[in-house]
Amino acid sequence: MKVLATYSIKGGVGKTTAAVNLAGEAARTGARVLLWDLDPQGAATFFVRVKPRLRGGASRLVSKHGELAEHVRATDVPGVDVLPADFSLRHLDIHLDATSPTRLADLLDDVAGVYDVAMLDCAPGITVTSEAVFDAADALLVPTIPATLSARTLEQLDRFLATLDDPPLVLPFVSMIDRRRTVHRHVAADLAAGWPHLLATQVPNVATVERMGVERAPLAAFAPSARGTIAFRDLWAEIADHLW
Amino acid sequence: MSSVVTSRGVDATPDALLRDLQGYTIAPPRRVTSVVLDTFDGRLHRAGLRLDHVDGSLVLRDAEGGVARLAAAVAPRFATDLPRGPFRSRLAGVLDVRALLPLATVATTSRRVERRNADGKVTSVVTIHDDVCVGGSPIAGWYATVEELTGYVKPGDRARDVVARHTTDEAPGDVVEVALAAAGVERGGQHIEPGIPLDARGPAIEGFRLVLANLDDAIEVNREGTIENIDSEFLHDLRVAVRRSRSTLRHGRAVLPADVLAWIEPGLKRVGAVTSPPRDLDVQLLEWDASVAILDDASRRALEPLHQQLSRDRDAAYAELAAHLRAGDVTNLLRRWHDTIHAPMDPAAGGRRAGDPLVDVVVKRVRKAQRRLLDHGRAITPETPAELVHDVRKDAKQLRYLLECFADLFPGAARKAFVKRLKRLQDLLGAHQDAEVHAAELRHAAEELPPTTEPATYLAVGQLVEHLERVRQDARDGFAERFAEYDSAATRQALRDMLDGAGT
Repeated sequence: MKVLATYSIKGGVGKTTAAVNLAGEAARTGARVLLWDLDPQGAATFFVRVKPRLRGGASRLVSKHGELAEHVRATDVPGVDVLPADFSLRHLDIHLDATSPTRLADLLDDVAGVYDVAMLDCAPGITVTSEAVFDAADALLVPTIPATLSARTLEQLDRFLATLDDPPLVLPFVSMIDRRRTVHRHVAADLAAGWPHLLATQVPNVATVERMGVERAPLAAFAPSARGTIAFRDLWAEIADHLW
Repeated sequence: MSSVVTSRGVDATPDALLRDLQGYTIAPPRRVTSVVLDTFDGRLHRAGLRLDHVDGSLVLRDAEGGVARLAAAVAPRFATDLPRGPFRSRLAGVLDVRALLPLATVATTSRRVERRNADGKVTSVVTIHDDVCVGGSPIAGWYATVEELTGYVKPGDRARDVVARHTTDEAPGDVVEVALAAAGVERGGQHIEPGIPLDARGPAIEGFRLVLANLDDAIEVNREGTIENIDSEFLHDLRVAVRRSRSTLRHGRAVLPADVLAWIEPGLKRVGAVTSPPRDLDVQLLEWDASVAILDDASRRALEPLHQQLSRDRDAAYAELAAHLRAGDVTNLLRRWHDTIHAPMDPAAGGRRAGDPLVDVVVKRVRKAQRRLLDHGRAITPETPAELVHDVRKDAKQLRYLLECFADLFPGAARKAFVKRLKRLQDLLGAHQDAEVHAAELRHAAEELPPTTEPATYLAVGQLVEHLERVRQDARDGFAERFAEYDSAATRQALRDMLDGAGT
């Protein structure tokens, strides 16, 4: 099983949109996918129409006897199951501190034979939970908006990961780009020049993405030919090339 | 993971069930055709998997209820025909080099019935199937499948209760699984193991006959697939069955009728000879990527003309083999052998040991084969010519085949322990042989290249041959130590444990 995490220090960059759509694309191309919503906001859970509830809350989930399987729900996206968020995830840092820094990785190991891809949708910031995600993940998918401070954010992440013994692969990609804007084009070009692992596919800032909140489904389910859908399709293909 | 159960309708039609499924959304019926795919030897089924080509997708189901889907307009022949990714990796891990073949076609008229909660989320699914056919033959009745979605236990249970009021014979699996069982479709594929049940104290001639008849079945079962060139395993399995047969005949010279041996031994030797060229080329092509991995990108590209030449040679060799296997001589030989070995043999017509207890004859053959192997192995020095090292390899194979074909006579654990020691020696001897043969074939193939071939190609061939020579020499250098490991007290004890328990 490959463990991928949509992650960024910054919020509002398209992590959840990417997690849900890439999970759908992975399933469409033959993977059995577990989408794990680690953000107490529960947006990914909302997008797949599942109730944001964990029996016993986050403490039970990551406790010594906790198991992922009892919390997993099937979604309406063929091939995608979800581990829903719960507002108690706002205390996840505390619970992970009390158990083990490798707890997320251990929980995922238990389902490694059942899924081909685990897609973790992370809350923003660098926290104890983030570190647990870095430990568990094979790759971090880092949506990066083409703004002047984005390179700085990537550098911060890079510096932090360099302190780890076995950091995950970092695959940044340009998110929410409006190619009509000169600054977006220039910043995107600078990112491509400065980051060799920057994925070539750029996710556009399009209105169809807003409709995800209404349709409560990945883009491919209601707009199969939309630019955003095709972007996530191509993005997944690039990610798969790196991993398989 | 979601679970699926299917049951057969007891009412004349599913109308009453549909009425009972209140609050569910009923989709219009549509005709669904699933082609179930597997290898000739049923690898997917044996691994607990089922692969269907349905509605322009490949659907891979496992025993735990997991389902993976991949869009595919046509069914692939090999796992490598699929795009890179986890689906292909999973299939390749099971299929290896075997081709996917259509096993059965199941067609149904299906209606999907869903229940959704207040969030519009599907919480249970019932599918009603009518006009179920397997391979065009109808299966009586209609069926209902309840899909219990992970995390939605109560809605699933409620659906199951409603369905149970109108159906019977609930079984795990979807309608395809139930239909295949109802139609009696054999799922395990065809794969004949060399070991069969044997009467240790019965006459040796009958034991040898049964072993050879089983090996003949293996030859028969793989013949058509070899002729049709479906995948490389057919020829591999056919050749292994021929080699085991030849070895068993040799071990049975004092047991089997001399007049039968007189025509079948040279006959199978000819069959072995005509199957060698295409198999050698198969192996080269199957191992191509691993072989050229030691070269840089430019050298790998320069070898492409050779790769293509080998592919053309392989196709030509297979065509020639097919002609042999269809031709009078070989066909007549194999038919005559089939009729001979599947009929009872009178011990009075056999060799001098035909009536002896089977286990006594085989134990004696094992001791003799082991002595021969040790004698030849002990004579090997660093200066010994390569042919004599190959003789040791052949001795080891003779012993191994004997233990495989007559496995039933020996206690399982003791036999495995001895074979493990023998295999270590065989692995080294095999590496030596393979490197030598591969290098010779590369040299030969390079000689066949057209005069317009770029020098870079010849240079790359040279690099490969040099590498293979190093591999061969390493194996040769390691022979003394590996043989000493085999020619040891531990091996002698393992042999004693195996033979002392023989026939018990």
